[in-house]
Amino acid sequence: MKKRFNPIKDKSSEIIEFLMASPDMPTDETLCFKIRLSVEEAVENVVRYAYEGGIGWLEAGTSLDKDTLILTIELRDAGVPFNPLDREDPDITLSAEEREVGGLGIFLCKQMMDSLNYRYEDGNNILTMTKKINK
Amino acid sequence: MDITIKNEGEKTLVTLNGRLDTTNADQFQADIQPLMTSPKPDIDIDCSGMTYTSSQGLRIFLSLQKSVLARGGKMVMLNMNPQVKEVFDITGFSNIIAIR
Repeated sequence: MKKRFNPIKDKSSEIIEFLMASPDMPTDETLCFKIRLSVEEAVENVVRYAYEGGIGWLEAGTSLDKDTLILTIELRDAGVPFNPLDREDPDITLSAEEREVGGLGIFLCKQMMDSLNYRYEDGNNILTMTKKINK
Repeated sequence: MDITIKNEGEKTLVTLNGRLDTTNADQFQADIQPLMTSPKPDIDIDCSGMTYTSSQGLRIFLSLQKSVLARGGKMVMLNMNPQVKEVFDITGFSNIIAIR
């Protein structure tokens, strides 16, 4: 299932709830927590940074491979080319004083999902995240 | 997300209920602003009702912790649910914020 949101300014919640309501989502609470967190971080990234003033579209979709039970979430936008996976992971061994505030969103996606993949194609940023579920 | 802040003598008790996410992080930041200025803060944050936090919440907890330490105070987060605790573990926040 897939939907295009346009414009996306202030639409984070709507996009997150659309994805989480997909019939492809697992019912297990712990898995849902991890997926929701990753979805929120990835969607926020696009809504906040992809377009100047949030004026632009985001296509959000899910699919489930019934054989492997691998859930795929795909986000596509036509904003500034940006590979979120290029960002260096935060150093989680630093003290509170040394830690920088922020920079945890995509790191959390990486930790919570099984895989994250980015490609730039036909002028679109395409981010896919997968998670094996137990439906 | 519901937040209550109570002063009990020298101690401040903050109670969090619900989901801390992109829809309410700005409000949460505004609500805890008074805690960023008291001279030697001693803050307990009861998280038993907090069911979720995203990175938006984490950045606020880290800002608060930095500010508390800079003023020679202390802050403890209590009764965190296992899923939220995992987020704190994964990000290393369990090492820089006291959790009991």
